[in-house]
Amino acid sequence: MPSFTSSSKSPALVYARALLGICAIIVLFLEICADYLLKHDSETYARVSQQYADAVKVRSSRPGEPASVLMVGNSLLMEGIDVDRLQGLTSSKMRIYPIFLEATGYYDWLYGLGRLFRQGARPQVVVLGVGVNSFLQNSVRQDYAPMMFFDVRDVLGAASDLKLDRTATSNLLLAHSSVFWDIRSVIRTQILRRTVPHCSELFSLVKPKPVLPPSPELEADTIARIRTLRQLCEAHGAKLIILVPPTPSSEDAVRQMAIASQKVGVDSLVPIDPATLSERFYQPDELHLNSEGAALFTSALATYLPVELSGSKSASSHN
Amino acid sequence: MLFDSPAYFLFLIPVVLVYWRLNLRAQNIFLLLASYFFYGWWDWRFLALMIGSTTMDFLIAQKITPGQTDSNRKKWFVFSLLLNFGILGVFKYFDFFTGSFSSALETLGIHHIPLPLIRVILPPGISFYTFQEVAYIADVYKGRLEPAKSFLDYGLFISLFPHLIAGPIQRPGHLLPQVQKSRSFDADRFFDGLMLIFSGLVRKCVVADNCALLANAAFGGQFGPSNFWVVLIGTYAFAWQVYGDFSGYSDIARGSAQLLGFHFMVNFRQPYLSHRLQEFWRRWHISLSTWLRDYLYIPLGGSASGGWKTSRNLLITMVLAGLWHGANWTFVVFGAIHGAVLAVERFFSPAKAKQKDPALSQHSVGLLSLWAQRILTFNVFCLSLAFFRAASLPAAVQFLAGLSNFAWRTEYVSAFFMLCLFSVPLFVVDLLMEASNQEYPFANAPYAFRTALAAFTLIILALFSGNSLNAFVYFQF
Repeated sequence: MPSFTSSSKSPALVYARALLGICAIIVLFLEICADYLLKHDSETYARVSQQYADAVKVRSSRPGEPASVLMVGNSLLMEGIDVDRLQGLTSSKMRIYPIFLEATGYYDWLYGLGRLFRQGARPQVVVLGVGVNSFLQNSVRQDYAPMMFFDVRDVLGAASDLKLDRTATSNLLLAHSSVFWDIRSVIRTQILRRTVPHCSELFSLVKPKPVLPPSPELEADTIARIRTLRQLCEAHGAKLIILVPPTPSSEDAVRQMAIASQKVGVDSLVPIDPATLSERFYQPDELHLNSEGAALFTSALATYLPVELSGSKSASSHN
Repeated sequence: MLFDSPAYFLFLIPVVLVYWRLNLRAQNIFLLLASYFFYGWWDWRFLALMIGSTTMDFLIAQKITPGQTDSNRKKWFVFSLLLNFGILGVFKYFDFFTGSFSSALETLGIHHIPLPLIRVILPPGISFYTFQEVAYIADVYKGRLEPAKSFLDYGLFISLFPHLIAGPIQRPGHLLPQVQKSRSFDADRFFDGLMLIFSGLVRKCVVADNCALLANAAFGGQFGPSNFWVVLIGTYAFAWQVYGDFSGYSDIARGSAQLLGFHFMVNFRQPYLSHRLQEFWRRWHISLSTWLRDYLYIPLGGSASGGWKTSRNLLITMVLAGLWHGANWTFVVFGAIHGAVLAVERFFSPAKAKQKDPALSQHSVGLLSLWAQRILTFNVFCLSLAFFRAASLPAAVQFLAGLSNFAWRTEYVSAFFMLCLFSVPLFVVDLLMEASNQEYPFANAPYAFRTALAAFTLIILALFSGNSLNAFVYFQF
């Protein structure tokens, strides 16, 4: 005998049902609003979705044409490279297709590149530049990336690689499927920016600092990750170049990254030695290059990247 | 699955819908299976441990019923205590004590003694279900409770999913009869359950998670070297984080239980309005503090044997309470601070300390004096939280050592503003609940008003949650 014996006309039950119905409507409304806001107000979404759409169409160039270069990375490249100027300086040698999304790291691009290849992108060269810390961090960006870079199988793959528990995996899956869930932290941040005075400065301060593994593990992790990326790129006919943008006091890490790349047989490009850049080339956050630093970095990249390309052989020659 | 994750609600909704279509026996079987699924969602390996421990205590309880000989009963009772605390000790404290012993030997100049470490993951909820099992065995032994005749009932009492991972620790005399008797659907309680869930989600996802951002930054050194303002931001933010977090968890647990027709004890009653630490422990994590009172403090002698013994009992109880929170000396110091302050309070004003009714205390002291005492009590608690939150004792001492430095940064204004933005509304809610003695704000308001309030909280949740990197603090215990 079921114990559900209460009258369906009880006011409490009527209001409980009404509340659940209102919740469902609010959730639907939030999803629609989030989708609208994302597509009409989000500069990040507009930029990255356009860059992604362009990148999917990248094909190998014919002989005599500039090489097609897919350049992916995080805010270190976004702030540090003037892409138009770089393209202008190197237009005869390469055609650059950038995708820059802030706060992304190794796993975002491992699965992001995999999806791009599956969707048909065929660049001759993939340049990945995320900085040493982001390259070694064990996480994926929780907003934008699950929706824009991942398929369901990528989400499951990333969750498995990151050893996420089932709750975290289901949250990531939901971020892939629901626009609201994906960008809710962005919405919160935007509201706080408008509510809390000097919120940007506070948020840049309270952002957790990445913790790197100890040195021996760092080298092993770096080698394993570069090897995986190389295999992915080579499987789709692309050559991988690891671009190491300068960050303050990163000389040792940059050197280790270069050594690790060399061990795996991947070219690494360090256009500017971080030790040569004083703090006047960095923004107040002491991490990203300012316009002066970006001009310097772009010029150096325009000099060395074409050299790297002309000296390189096709991916098949590595096999 | 965490209570603030969509996965939990995808689990809870079908469970509630199916549950109310079943008869009592089928309800209990269904809930037991659902609870095991809920527990196994974390790690199936620890399910066997919990089922094994539950089975042992169920069988032992049959051996200590009053009909048995006293020596036999005592033997089985002691065996059960050893078993329960042994399992808890191995999983939670073995590495801690071994490591501390090893450090002590090294301090004495004795090196290279190989001591084994088991390095095992702490099974979720083990501290909570162990205390529940011990309470059951103790109550049966003392003759306060008939042992459960059905393993199904006892298994469900231990593993009922709303309380399984982080309490509230349910007393056998309160929950077991509810499991054994048939439960009829009560629409009012069902509605209240929904409201409690909304209240809990706001406490956790809006208050706790946003305060956590500040607390993590202060204790993690992102605000720079510790100083007076950093200590203030860190401890205050952590105080509101841990309160929002655990009271939020408790509300969701109680709300979920009410959707299933169960009643769980209230776990928090506006603790930051306490005017003494003793009162604070009557309002904070009530299910733990009453457990410690009934199964540790009173068996130790309680306050019956005079001043010094009472102080000793308080100190022992609170140090063990601290250690219950985690295997670290920081928790021991946290407990010791509370034990010492409780003893001092009792020493200086034993009569006042016995007052149980907060409303009574409000009349017995002036309003200004009452608020001064409330502020003092809150700050003593915040001071102790530095030890609760810090990674190690030296880290806690170093953090507090900054109190004499008053160096100011403009970012602190934003931090204080953000702290007020998320803590003041909860404080106001507490004041309202204190005045009305309700389980959640506006609990006696018309249904239409409460429905609108819940819808409003959902929008607040949508706009201000999103800092999803903070799991419930009490899950690690």
